Amino acid sequence: MDDQACPRCKTTKYRNPSLKLMVNVCGHALCENCVDLLFLKGSGSCPDCNVPLRRSNFRVQLFEDSMVEKEIDIRKRVLKDYNKKEEDFATLREYNDYLEEIETIVYNLCNNIDIVGTNKRIEQYKKDNKEIIMKNKAKIGREELELEEILEIEKQMEDLRRAEISRLEQEAKKQKIREKEALIDELMFAEGDAKDILNTFAQSIAKKEEVDVVPIVPKVTQFSTGVKFSRGSGSQHNVPVIEEGPLYKYEAPIIPDRCGPDPPSIQNIINGGYLHHVRAENETEKAGGYSSTLPCLRALQDAMAGLYHAS
Amino acid sequence: MFSTSSQRKFWTFSDENELARHREKHNLDYISRHGHQIDEYQRYNFFLSPEEERLLLRQYELHLKEFCKRFSPPMPKGVVGTAFHYFKRFYLYNSSMDYHPKEILATCVYLACKVEEFNVSIGQFVANIKGDRDKASDIILNNELLLMQQLNYHLTIHNPFRPVEGFLIDIKTRCCTLPNPERLRSGIDEFLEKVFLTDACLLYAPSQIALAAVLHAASKEQENLDSYVTDMLFRDAGPDKLAILIEAVRKIRSMVKMVESPARERVRVIEKKLDRCRNQENNPDSEIYKRRMREALDEDDIPHTGPSRMSLDTSGVTQVLSPSAS
Repeated sequence: MDDQACPRCKTTKYRNPSLKLMVNVCGHALCENCVDLLFLKGSGSCPDCNVPLRRSNFRVQLFEDSMVEKEIDIRKRVLKDYNKKEEDFATLREYNDYLEEIETIVYNLCNNIDIVGTNKRIEQYKKDNKEIIMKNKAKIGREELELEEILEIEKQMEDLRRAEISRLEQEAKKQKIREKEALIDELMFAEGDAKDILNTFAQSIAKKEEVDVVPIVPKVTQFSTGVKFSRGSGSQHNVPVIEEGPLYKYEAPIIPDRCGPDPPSIQNIINGGYLHHVRAENETEKAGGYSSTLPCLRALQDAMAGLYHAS
Repeated sequence: MFSTSSQRKFWTFSDENELARHREKHNLDYISRHGHQIDEYQRYNFFLSPEEERLLLRQYELHLKEFCKRFSPPMPKGVVGTAFHYFKRFYLYNSSMDYHPKEILATCVYLACKVEEFNVSIGQFVANIKGDRDKASDIILNNELLLMQQLNYHLTIHNPFRPVEGFLIDIKTRCCTLPNPERLRSGIDEFLEKVFLTDACLLYAPSQIALAAVLHAASKEQENLDSYVTDMLFRDAGPDKLAILIEAVRKIRSMVKMVESPARERVRVIEKKLDRCRNQENNPDSEIYKRRMREALDEDDIPHTGPSRMSLDTSGVTQVLSPSAS
């Protein structure tokens, strides 16, 4: 570990203990600071091999040999497409050939042997097996989900067990202290032989320990129907039931007390000749939605409202 | 609608005595805050009495009318009416010694322009004011929020102008006995101009004032519209309601008849007196005011000073005094 150093700025793990080496698809390492510096814009080229790289593809180097990292990268990419399972082949022989082909491709890409030809091979394979690749991808996704679920459950069980153990331990501690105090009290105030008292206490403690086994209460992880709390929605589409209240009923708005005589209605204004005495709207106003009825109504309403007002 | 408005609920009072009580209370409030060392008999030699305040405000209402008349661009009637309402409302709960009517007048008109959607900028507005225009715009903008607060943000005003139009339409349509109702207009306008010099708009509904104006104009033209009122407007209402309206119309007309401009000489004396007894904290020319404005500029979080009124009730208004005001 001590000879870990960034090839660009030459910082070593010894000088900077928080040094983190990062690798990208080309397999050449850089320290975190250099990555920040060189890939400020999000992309750039590797200082070692001039391959264009993207910053988002950098990750922490796990293995000392950065070539291993490169191989992992390539393998991941290749396996994305070469995702056939043993079931997809008629004979074991064919499956083994298929695996061999994958290894060849990965080896070639890692060691820069016939890269163009290999990439062509991959493209060809992709084209030929489009449907199977898609199908397997979906299948793998589902399998992963199930796996995650199982892991989740296991984690929960583990947590539960640990909590239970720590609780029991504490309980036992408290119990011991209490017993000790009781014993001291007894020794202080009782008049019998001290040895006898010690003996009886030791016996009662032994008895209690046999009894004290509390059943573990498992944490609830699923609904009573058997659906898990977390990922029930992925596989099952439960349409939520909409509660239907009573139907909407129209209620006419309440007109506040005008405190005056009732003004004529719009119908009355139109029919009763009121409009002869207001300026009629012109063409432009009509186009804008204006009609002289409303201002006429408003003037009449304002005239009537408040006439009954009494101080 | 007037019947559900804040104007009816908070700003229409039962009679003139109630108005007088409010005004007197704030006159006394001011005196007790600023003149507790002056003994009771002497104090009106220094401070304005409620009567003197009334007279002064009458004079300023005339100024307000003139100002609006000369305003350019010409102002719609609604703005004038609204400005009058604001002015009257403000001095119902404030003493003219506390805030000089000259400043509140301009602020009322400015706020009324905004509320009535008569669009003038502050620059255009102060172009109508003689004297230092920058100072005037400062005063107006400083007082605007105070004014709104003192109006308790009841900014919607129901003016009698639209009801007048309503009555004229109604008369033209339903009351064919009256020839050419348009000739009533000059009488109506004259009446409404005078109405705003009275307290009628603090006591009666705008439609009642409008009806009084129409009836007054009709009687001036030797016409009689009584049958229109009794047989058409109040046909379905009981006689008690009619009696109330008749009394209201009579009262409004007598109030308008009583309007007279205050004597020049007396007003001049009162103004001189006011210069001495006014609250220097609200005088933009005083040292104390200038200092306070500077302080306000220096620090952003000044504590609120000046009277504030958060709730309005008819039983009277309490003014929360800040330490600096007492």
